[in-house]
Amino acid sequence: MTNLSVRDTNLPRRRVLRAAVAAAAVVCTVVACSPVSNNDGGDPSGGDQSAGQDSFGTPADPAAVKQGGKLVIALSAEPDALDPTLSRSLYSRYVFQAMCQKLYDVNEQAQVVPQLATALPTTSGDGRTVTIPLRPGVRFADGTAFDSAAVKATLQRHLTNARSARKSELGPIDGVDTPDAQTVVLRLKQPFAPLLGALADRAGMIMSAQALRSKGDDFASAPVCVGPFKFAKRVPQNSIEVVRDPNYYDANKVHLDAISWRILTDASIRAANLRSGDAQVADSISTQDVASLRQDAAVSVLQSQSLGYQGLTINVGNVDGVGTAPKPINRPLAQNAKVRQAFEHAIDRKSLVDAVFNGLHAAACSPISPASTFSSPEAQTCPAHDPAKAKQLLAEAGVQTPYTVTMLASNTPDTLRLAQALQSMVKDGGFDLKINPVEYSSLLDEQDRGNFELLQLGWSGRIDPDANITNFVGTSASQNVAGYSNPQLDTLLTQARQAGDVEERRKLYGQAVTLLQQDDALIYLYRQRNLTAVSKQIQGLQVYPDGVIRAAFAGFGK
Amino acid sequence: MARYLLTRAWQSALTLLLSTIVVFVGVRALPGDPALALAGEDRSPEALEAIRRHYGLDQPLPVQFAQYVERMAQGDFGVSIRTGTPVSSMLTTALPVTVELSVLAILIAAALGVGAGVIAAVRRGRPAEWLANGLALIGLSVPHFWLGLLAILYLSVATGLFPASGFVPILEDPVDNLHHIVLPAVILGTGLAAIIMRQTRSAMLDSLSSDYVRTAKAKGLRPRAVITRHALRNSLIVVVTVVGLQLGGLISGAVVTEQIFGLPGFGKMTIDAVFQRDYPVIQAVVLLTAAAYIVINFFVDLLYSVIDPRIRVTGDPA
Repeated sequence: MTNLSVRDTNLPRRRVLRAAVAAAAVVCTVVACSPVSNNDGGDPSGGDQSAGQDSFGTPADPAAVKQGGKLVIALSAEPDALDPTLSRSLYSRYVFQAMCQKLYDVNEQAQVVPQLATALPTTSGDGRTVTIPLRPGVRFADGTAFDSAAVKATLQRHLTNARSARKSELGPIDGVDTPDAQTVVLRLKQPFAPLLGALADRAGMIMSAQALRSKGDDFASAPVCVGPFKFAKRVPQNSIEVVRDPNYYDANKVHLDAISWRILTDASIRAANLRSGDAQVADSISTQDVASLRQDAAVSVLQSQSLGYQGLTINVGNVDGVGTAPKPINRPLAQNAKVRQAFEHAIDRKSLVDAVFNGLHAAACSPISPASTFSSPEAQTCPAHDPAKAKQLLAEAGVQTPYTVTMLASNTPDTLRLAQALQSMVKDGGFDLKINPVEYSSLLDEQDRGNFELLQLGWSGRIDPDANITNFVGTSASQNVAGYSNPQLDTLLTQARQAGDVEERRKLYGQAVTLLQQDDALIYLYRQRNLTAVSKQIQGLQVYPDGVIRAAFAGFGK
Repeated sequence: MARYLLTRAWQSALTLLLSTIVVFVGVRALPGDPALALAGEDRSPEALEAIRRHYGLDQPLPVQFAQYVERMAQGDFGVSIRTGTPVSSMLTTALPVTVELSVLAILIAAALGVGAGVIAAVRRGRPAEWLANGLALIGLSVPHFWLGLLAILYLSVATGLFPASGFVPILEDPVDNLHHIVLPAVILGTGLAAIIMRQTRSAMLDSLSSDYVRTAKAKGLRPRAVITRHALRNSLIVVVTVVGLQLGGLISGAVVTEQIFGLPGFGKMTIDAVFQRDYPVIQAVVLLTAAAYIVINFFVDLLYSVIDPRIRVTGDPA
């Protein structure tokens, strides 16, 4: 029998202690929970029905699709602010796709095509005036007219808002003119080829000027754009719902009544929801689940090769933090390109993706995707897997083998499997690879501070190659975590972003890749495929190389 | 009684203040920078600086703490760094979900645990006790996430009896709400039920062999009355203590359960906030949890005196 008496002398003190311990336990629970499941690492995607074949999905056949219904999409991570000026996550692009159309879009071939514009922009001879014709008769979800004034208000907000994530994407825009309601003219300080790619992404999403005036910085709480669907509600950390917009200019192409994105961060839970019918689409399927999903007669798997890459970054000069001037690091791996080349020769990319990702991802040796218009044979050249040459290069560099390298990597299961496969692979080339796994947020912190020797991370990719290269390898660029600098490469990249001609840009990027492979501060490993599982009840759902799920014109099959 | 309540009140306030400091320092001791987590791929130095300035992360820690305490005192939890939503509105959406899940889980656990515990004690040495003990062992050993996954696999995917995820607010559709929450509540309640069963059983065995039960039997009371009115009533003291202490486990269990079933509750909010280094959300969640602990402890103590009047509540030390 326990006859507790409150008159026990120790009790008040004990109770305070108990509550303090309880509070500490809560903190510890919170802290210790960190590594449970993190999909921000952006690992899995990519797939390949039969060795390298992409499958983007097909448009819906109106005769075979029912009208109405709510589509539920299981999403692997929570979108951030639903504001085209502020948004920074890939996942918000999925939601925007249904409710915030852009001046330009991307098609299956990763080419830029008009969306709210009626044609590709015309650029003046000196490359400094860009004219965009706008689609007439279009209304925002709040009923106001879509015109050049709205485009101007949006672009100005992108350029001036203190927290804008779009400012750098829009480059050297000096001013926006509106000669008439259906024409916008952008004035640039200097030619800027990547502008079109930016207008085919969030920078090109036009917001209702009236909503911007009334909501201001709070626009994300009830975003108003032009789109097949309009914002309905958001339950933070849980779901976002949009409903059909009767104001949409092409409303007869819309079949669904509503789309709901439900955030389910665990890949197996997403797959389970798909199987149970609680969701009809699941994004970022793990390469481990693809085989079993393919056996499910009710599910199909879409796969599109991404424009991004996964790779290894070697710290060659990041001493004082990213963006600062590079300083010498006293390590053979940092100082001697031969040691880095040796590491690259020790890697067998094909075996790596076959073993770790069941061959669903594609080996990659450069930042330029073969799917890009700017790809060339030079851009796709791959240094051979040659362990003997690796050992020879190490000998030439005068380092003792096995040469120990420590790699910082995300602690997600997929990345750890990749790291372990790399570890055993580079052994034959004379390297002893140590793995240091950390949680994603910490990884970002460490890499920006320069607290690493080698690290594994990737980039989700953009349509214009400049956005996939310059920021990462340009001297003191904002994401040049390697602390890498090559003036010759800087010149090439500047020429490439100012060149108006596609052929010329293609040639310059080819030369850039050759230089990148000589210096090897970044070793590109593989390109993910975006893997999306879709219930066969659904028709017309598509995923293009930009990785964005296009659900707006999908419908339930009859 | 009044003096006791006062003493407890200031102790609780002190504990809460200490928790505030621990939480504030604790989340900032985590490696990782919220500005970096938010900026994600688009992290230019200007963007990072703008984010830090906007959320006051560029201020020295003592200044941040002072601002935080000042806002908290006014009931303002700030805005989520990730979504820009006011934390208070996130809490108002998440809190009812977790409260409903926890209350339901406790009810299920108490019903199963006390029932099985009494049977195991009364039927000592018989198959009923072995069965109850076996089930309790399973309930204690099997982790929530695995049970949850199995439940989804068999009760949602295979049979379609319950939805695999999602939540419908009780005011919107009470039946649908129950349909969505019963399965997670049962999963969450299993571990607690096992603990309650074991405690009930041993307390009941204790009571059944005590003098007052023998006296009650000798007076000629019916066995059912002896068990429920005498033995069980005394045994419940232990059970209440255990349930109170296990609430911590329930909260951490809710974190996992909500994550698996995609319930928009406190637990899911906490996990996501930690990954995104969303300081205002983590702070609010942890503080509210600490406050809940303090309040629950307080009520557990009060409950003692209700169940067993011999325990008097006073503020005097003996």
